[in-house]
Amino acid sequence: MSGTDHLAGDHPDRSGAPRTTSAVVVGAGLAGLTAAAGLTAHGVEVTVLEARDRVGGRMHGLQVAPGGWVDAGAAYLGERHTGLLALMADLGLKTTPTTMLGASRFALGAEDATRDGRFPPLNAVALGDMFELLDELTASVRPDAPWLTPDAVRLDTTTAAAWADRHLTHPDARLFFPLFLGEMMAADPADVSVLHMAFYLRSGGGIRYLNAFEGGAQQDRVAGGAHLVCERLAERLGPRVRLGAQVTAVHQDEGGVTVHATGGPYRADVAVIAVPPLLADAVEFRPAPPVGRAGERTARGCAVKVNLVYPAPLWREHGLSGWSVNAEGPLLSTVDDSPAEGGVGVLTGFVTGSEAHRFAALDPVRRRSAAVAQAARLFPMLPEPIGFHVTDWVNEPYSRGCYAALFGPGDWLRNGPSLTAPHGRVHWAGTETSTEFFGLMEGAVRSGHRVVAEITAR
Amino acid sequence: MSVDTTDAAGAPADPGAPAGTGNGTDGVAAIFRRVLETSDVTADSDFFQLGGDSLIATRVLSAIARHHGVELSFEDFLLAPTPAGLARAIEAAR
Repeated sequence: MSGTDHLAGDHPDRSGAPRTTSAVVVGAGLAGLTAAAGLTAHGVEVTVLEARDRVGGRMHGLQVAPGGWVDAGAAYLGERHTGLLALMADLGLKTTPTTMLGASRFALGAEDATRDGRFPPLNAVALGDMFELLDELTASVRPDAPWLTPDAVRLDTTTAAAWADRHLTHPDARLFFPLFLGEMMAADPADVSVLHMAFYLRSGGGIRYLNAFEGGAQQDRVAGGAHLVCERLAERLGPRVRLGAQVTAVHQDEGGVTVHATGGPYRADVAVIAVPPLLADAVEFRPAPPVGRAGERTARGCAVKVNLVYPAPLWREHGLSGWSVNAEGPLLSTVDDSPAEGGVGVLTGFVTGSEAHRFAALDPVRRRSAAVAQAARLFPMLPEPIGFHVTDWVNEPYSRGCYAALFGPGDWLRNGPSLTAPHGRVHWAGTETSTEFFGLMEGAVRSGHRVVAEITAR
Repeated sequence: MSVDTTDAAGAPADPGAPAGTGNGTDGVAAIFRRVLETSDVTADSDFFQLGGDSLIATRVLSAIARHHGVELSFEDFLLAPTPAGLARAIEAAR
């Protein structure tokens, strides 16, 4: 807790120290709901304000068959995601493995290829050179405080695109780098600083852990859909969660904080802002924080998720895993996302980076025909899908991007030091405030726990 | 599995090649230790059983190319994913 904070709550407890008895949480995504549940357990009176008519934020489920759900947003977790796993256990939720058996499909050059495993038919030494460079960069970052990394100024003023231009000479590495960055962090290399790229990869456990399915960050999904984590948390919170409540302003004074929102205003001792940085900056704060939550170069995470539903996972009968990597869009990679409950086969396509903007701008008919045609080219056994869903996170007004905000040149040096520092009675949550597992569900959970600790220590 | 770690007889003299029997194996084992972040590597350790995957395998191939001047393919790696096996593949490729 900052020693310069003079706005602590004025409700004395038995020891005579000020005590926080009420909080307004802005945003009913995983971070906000985790914070709200934790504060409630500490006896704090909590109100959660959510602009959408649903909870979950970037975690959203789509029902694709009776009892069969697929993740339209955040989906994957691994063993190191201990905060999320503990929360799931507490909520009675289980994991389901993302088994990937069979050969992969690749459309990376002149001819489409089918190969065992996930390794693309590209020059292995050239890709290895790239991963060696990325590993060296990743290892050089101060994960708890990237702005204090040796050479941070240089790394924070260069884009990943400029870095690749300079360091990647082999055409196969230049082809694969944007696909890798798209998969890992839904980034166009031109949008992120080298520092943010290296930090993101480090924060998530390093390039191997972040890239891996088995033994890595994509080992499991939430059985029944990731949205269940948020829905169960919201059930516990009950009427404390107000949907359709868009927050426009947060004003604080010596006595408390006033949150102006649909159906408000709401008065409390503290506020927790648990929305992505670009949305937080759309709220009017009085007094204004010393620096914004985002900068001019902060970009939206560029991910559009496409779920193609078939009568069954037909690719499996042909020895294919459903995994593909493609140089041409719209689907830069595909993965078998079929519900464990069976019933249907789901091929999920990821449209990331600059391709996400291009695809999002198409009308629905063109989106569908482009995605369906590409899936049929990669997996010729596929008939016309029986279901088709596009989730455009880039243009979601209450997310403004996915997986997470992309920190561009200058962002970490300017915003990093105040990433988690409370602004008087205002505390900051959200996966973008967690230096551990930044951008992942785990980061959201950890940010929620941090905020609970900050507020209960006031 | 019995592994012959001696250099292949008749391998052409290469001024850049490590001198002495077994150096190829030791060199690859050192690469394994670095990229897998484990000290538990012997001549016959299987890369994948040590927790390696295809992404890290490319880093081994990159390091072999830098240190030994030999570009092995991903298929070469899969055929012999041990320090001794890769040392033989390096010699065979010279």
